[in-house]
Order: sequence, then C-alpha cells, then structure tokens
Amino acid sequence: MKSQKKMVFLLLIAILLLPVITACGSTQKSSSSKTSQATNDPVKQGTNKMKQLNNKLQAALKKNDTDAIKKYGKQINTQWLSYENGVRDRFPLQYAKIERYQQPIYAQSNLADPDVAQIKENSTALTGQLNDLLTAKETKTKPSKQMDQAVDDYLKYADEQIDMLVKTTKPFVKAVKAGDVEKAKKLYTLPRIYYERAEPIAESFGDLDPAIDARINDVDNVSKWTGFHEIERALWEKNSLKGQSKYADKLMTDVLDLQKKSKTFKLTPKAMVAGAMELLEEAATSKITGEEERYSHTDLVDLQANVDGSEAVYQAAIPALNEGHKDLANQIDKQFQAFDKQMLKYKKSDTEYEDYTKLSKDQIREISNELSKLSKLMAQTAKIF
Amino acid sequence: MDHEELGTPQQKKGYSRREMLKMSALAGGGIALGASGLGAALELFGDKAATDPANESKIPFFATHQAGVTTAQQGYGYLAAFDIDPSIHDVAKIMALFITWTRLAATLIQGKREINSSNKELPPNDTNEARDLGAANLTITFGLGHSFFMKNGKDRFGLASQMPKQLTPMPRIAHETLDQSISNGDICVQICADIQQVAFHALRNLIKEALGTANIRWMETGFLNGPKGKTPRNLFGFKDGTANVTDPDDQNKVVWTSSDEPKWMRGGTYLGYRKIKMIIETWDRDSYSDQEQVIGRKKNSGAAFGRTHEHEPVIISKQPGDSHVGLAHQTGQKIYRRAYSYTNGIQPATGNLDAGLLFISYQNKPQESFIPMLRVLGKSDALNEYIDHVATGLFAIPAGIKKNEYFAQHLFE
Repeated sequence: MKSQKKMVFLLLIAILLLPVITACGSTQKSSSSKTSQATNDPVKQGTNKMKQLNNKLQAALKKNDTDAIKKYGKQINTQWLSYENGVRDRFPLQYAKIERYQQPIYAQSNLADPDVAQIKENSTALTGQLNDLLTAKETKTKPSKQMDQAVDDYLKYADEQIDMLVKTTKPFVKAVKAGDVEKAKKLYTLPRIYYERAEPIAESFGDLDPAIDARINDVDNVSKWTGFHEIERALWEKNSLKGQSKYADKLMTDVLDLQKKSKTFKLTPKAMVAGAMELLEEAATSKITGEEERYSHTDLVDLQANVDGSEAVYQAAIPALNEGHKDLANQIDKQFQAFDKQMLKYKKSDTEYEDYTKLSKDQIREISNELSKLSKLMAQTAKIF
Repeated sequence: MDHEELGTPQQKKGYSRREMLKMSALAGGGIALGASGLGAALELFGDKAATDPANESKIPFFATHQAGVTTAQQGYGYLAAFDIDPSIHDVAKIMALFITWTRLAATLIQGKREINSSNKELPPNDTNEARDLGAANLTITFGLGHSFFMKNGKDRFGLASQMPKQLTPMPRIAHETLDQSISNGDICVQICADIQQVAFHALRNLIKEALGTANIRWMETGFLNGPKGKTPRNLFGFKDGTANVTDPDDQNKVVWTSSDEPKWMRGGTYLGYRKIKMIIETWDRDSYSDQEQVIGRKKNSGAAFGRTHEHEPVIISKQPGDSHVGLAHQTGQKIYRRAYSYTNGIQPATGNLDAGLLFISYQNKPQESFIPMLRVLGKSDALNEYIDHVATGLFAIPAGIKKNEYFAQHLFE
C-alpha cells in the first residue's frame, strides 16, 4: 500500500532526524510538529495526522472546494475517533478543547450546505489546540483540585455561552423593534441555542429564567408573560410584531442582567453535575415533546443545545472521571457521539433542524431513546463524588 | 430463612462474582451491568410484623418450569415487550442483561429490592414503591419473540439455528385490526402479582435496568379476580379458563415442550397473545339468551350447552352454530388460558369504553393449537361482532431457570 510505504519512509526519516532535533531542543515551537514525528507516542502520532488533515482542510478552504472541505472534515473526525481515548486519559484538558473545535467541523461537513466561514474559524482554532497538545505535559491535577478545576472550566464555557447570548439577542431584538417579521424569525434561533446551553446558570437566578424563557403554560397570567416565547408566538402564530417592542426591550434587559449576574456566579461541583442532568431532563420532557417551541417548531435546535450544555459538564468532569471511572467516561463519550449522529439526520445548519411537526412518531421515539440512554449514563457521573 | 432459597446467580458461591466478571469481560469493557451492578446486594426484610402475612406468599423463581404459567393466577398482570437496542450487535451484552434481569427477578419475587449506593448523589437503584408490600405471589416470566432470532431475513445474533421449532411471526388472521406498535417484540416479560403495585414495581425496575440494551416496546396492564379456587370471569361476564388442565400429566401434554425442541427450549412453552378489544356497549345491549348463544356456555354456571356443571365436557352437537366455545373445541386442540381484563378510559370519538381482554394462552405447540384456533375463530366466531383483535404476539418461553443459572443461558452456551 502506498500510504504504508509513506509511513515507513516518514518513520525512517524521523529516526534519522532524532538526534538532530533533540539537539535543536524544544525551545523552537515551530519545530514541535517535526519533533513529534519521531515519537512512538500514539497521542503525538495521532495528533500529527490530525494536523496533516487539518492542513489539507485549510488548503481546501482556500480553494473554496466544498467537496474537499467535507471530505477532510470527515477524515479529521475519523482520525480523532481513532485515538481520542488516549488523549482523554492523559490530556483531559486539551481533549475537551479539541472536541470543541473538531465537533462543529464534523457536523458542518455532514451538511448539504456547510458554513465555510465557521469551518475556517474552527479549523484555525483547531491548529492552535493541536499544537498545544503536541507540547502539552502530562500533568495530573491533584484529585482535591480536580473538582475545582472542573467547575472553573465549566463556568468558562457557560460564560462564553451567555456572552454569545447577549451578542445574538441584540440583532434579534433590533429586528423585533423594527417590526421586521421575516428577519426576526431568522434571528430567533441563534440566541435560543446559547440560552439553552447555559440554562442551569439562568435557573439559579430566581426570576430571570421565567422572565426570559417561560412558555405560555408556565404562567398563570398571560398578560404578564415575557421572554423569547412570547415573541415567538407573535412571530409565528400572529405573524405580526405589533406591540412587541416592550417585550423586546424587556428581553434585552433580562439577558444583560443575566450576563452581569453570571460573572460572579459560584457553582459547586455537585450543582454542576446536577445542572447537566437538568439539561437532559429539559430535553427529554419539553423539547422531545415539541412543547418548548410550539409556534416555531424549532425544538430540535433547543434539544441539541441542551445536550451540548450537558456535554460541556461531562468534558469538564473528565479528569475526575479518569480516576477510576474511565469505562464510564468511554461509554458516555460513545453515547454523545451516537446522539449527535442521530441528530445529524435532521440538521440543516446550526440554527436549522427539521421542523418538529415533520418528524414521525418513530423518529421522535428514536431520538428519545438515544436521549434516555445518554441520561442513564450521565446520571452515573455522580460516581466522582 | 432458607438460604438455598435466596440463591441468586451472583451471590452463590459456584456462580458468582468471578463468573459475572468473566461475563462482563466477555461482553467488553463498556457493558452496563447496571446501576445495581455487581456489588449490589439484597436488602433484608424490614419490619416483618407490619406486613400483611398474606402478601408474603412467594412463588419460587428457580424451578423446572418458569413460574407464571400454570401458577394459580394472581389478581394483576403486566405484559410487556422489549426490543433489542439498535446499537447492540454483540450477544454478550444481551447475556449480561439476562444475567442482570435474572438476579433482579430472583430478588424481587422474594419481596426484596436492590440496595442503594452509599453515594447519595447517584440515583437510587430501587424505585421504592413496593417497600413493605411483600412478595404478593409475584411471578416474572421471560420469553423470546421470533424477531429476537431473525430480523429482515437476517440471523441477528447467530442464534437462528437454535430457534424454537414452533416460533414464527404471527400469520395474518381474519378480522384483526392490528396496531404493530403494540404487537410482537424481541423479548416479552409477563409479570403477575396479587398487588398491582408490586407487579408494576417489578416491571419498572426491569425496564430501568434494560434501557440501552433492550428498550420497552409496549406494556399492557390487566386485572382478573375470581372467588378462591373458582374460574374467574372476564368483562363479558362469562367464566374464562374453564377448560384449563390442572393435572401435571395433562399439563405436560398441553403446556410444556419436550424432546422435539432444541435442548434449551425443553420444559418451556409458548405464550400466545391477543389484545382483544371488547365492544362493551353493544354487548351490554345484547339479550341475555343471545349472549349465551354467542359464547356457547351458560352465563352463570359456566356449563356448556346441554350440560349443567361448568367442568362437564363440551358436547359439540349441542353447541349453537358458530358459538365461541363450539368453534374453539372443533380444532380438537387444547390451550392453557391465562387472560387478564383491561380498561383504558374511554374512546374519545364515541364516548364508548376502551376495555377488553389481554388474551394470554400457554401451549407447547402453538402452530397446532393456538394459531389454528385463531384462524377458525377469526373466520366465523359469533363473538366477532363484539370484539376486535388489536394486538398480537407469539413468544417462546424457555424452561425454568435453575439456581446459579440465568435466563436463556443454554441458548447462548
């Protein structure tokens, strides 16, 4: 096989180069990729292959060659799956970061019409993360500090989501106030994604979650109903934004308030894990039934966002899970993949999934089943306590 | 307390942790032996005095035949079917589930439950609603459907050569309006008890354990109460199960399978299932005499036409044409009936009751008894005017589980 020969050749070169490179020392960061070709370490080897594929992806991006972009996006995923367990075991922090950029590339590569700009952004970020992994030292966080580290990592994620919530709510609110129904419909789902990912944080601030996210049946007095879903109804049921300005203003105020409060938010590890379960429960109760987005039928977008949010908790908890629960981590990892694969069938873009009402009973049950399997496994992450 | 009685595969010395670990290794690292996995032990009875002694009645789990077949019928029954999860291609994971289920069933039928982890951040292993209710004659009966062996013409798990001889997909029967989503399935579980809550608890915990390996497909709930030692009545008001054989020799002829089956299936039986919706309002407006003509028995005594006592044999020549009992007897075959009645609110479109019979029968040769009987009845049963078959199933019920073994072990090993 051609590729095998190439491998042997590379390996030979690498062995020959070994003393030279060691002499050069590791101070030069640019040479790090060459250095690691010399190693037998499967993580370094795998990462080098990732880099090669990522370079090919970037070349394809430059040429704007959609077929090649999709091809390499998928190959990067296959390569990642082939050695990610080793990364998760030894470099859990880097692992989570790579997943964060690699997964969206893969998801986009499976779409008929991928978002090239987004792939570009993630591919660039991925290069940085791969380089970091090549030079990363295998440091073990002390078990006593692991949980604090996990919470810090998760809060960082949640903060980013809430920042994005603010950023994406602004244009939505603007469109609502301008009375532009079509534009507002288009801009509706994006802030929903960020909100649903970080919902456990919002739920910690008493009235904010209901003010932002209540559904019509959550309130006893419909005239006091505010938030995304009130505007959702105006957009899809009434097809008119008349009188919606005050709701748009209130939504913006509440979202900004959430951002302010979340900056100083403290979270215990137990609450973090409980939050992941809440997200999956949310997905399994109100999203899978089509109740959450009953006017826009964009429930699958929210569903995926809830699962993403819980995955962030899982990723933050990997170092702790690695202490005696690697097998569980492995099962959870596989189930997140199985779930995402199921959802890809209905994904058109990050903000557009199949209309909930177009799904058959069997399709809903299939998604529900994968979600249940995920919840059952995620409930076991409490073993880290 | 008899220690032998408490034997479960995992506790007993001969088959135990080590064997289980071997199994788990066989099934690959990720095998879900479950939240109540290897380390789970049995919880001992709490406050004995507080429990009604009647509910402490137990049916042994480890026996020659599976319990719940010729066992005196309990007041409540659940019948449920499961499908193997699409992600499962590895028979070891199914074996692991059956080991877990066997352990759990052997625990539950004693009125016990799995203990919870000391880590209170984890979900509880047992759902707790049957605490202090006792065993209540709980039985848990496991079976396998045709689709467990063959699906879309494929031998799913390399077990098709071990397929029970009489196990087929259910053939088409006249006058049926089947809902596939509540019919058939890869695995079936019948759970019966004298207390409904005890039966539900058992099923719920089996479902919880199985998720990811086998997922619940459908579940039906039934009830049936009769005076002690007498034949109970179904919702038509007639006795149901009069012709059941009680003598063990006769049961060997009618119910239990023998040497013509693959080894693992001998001493087992087949569960035939029909969910029969009764058109209750129409029936209730039918005359008393016509009701008797339709069934072919006297409503009060249960005696066949031309007889005075319930258990006197049916005289075919005295049967009204197309009567239910007459047609069923014409096949010359016997089945062992173990049906439950069901109610499920009203039918919104008409306001009529949604009620009927979960017809369950056990027989060793369903292709010669159960199915021919359905064919004859489907074509011309006078009762068809008042019923509609809405769900179906045929499941092989393997022999009883021996101590230190697990359900269907000899199918796999």
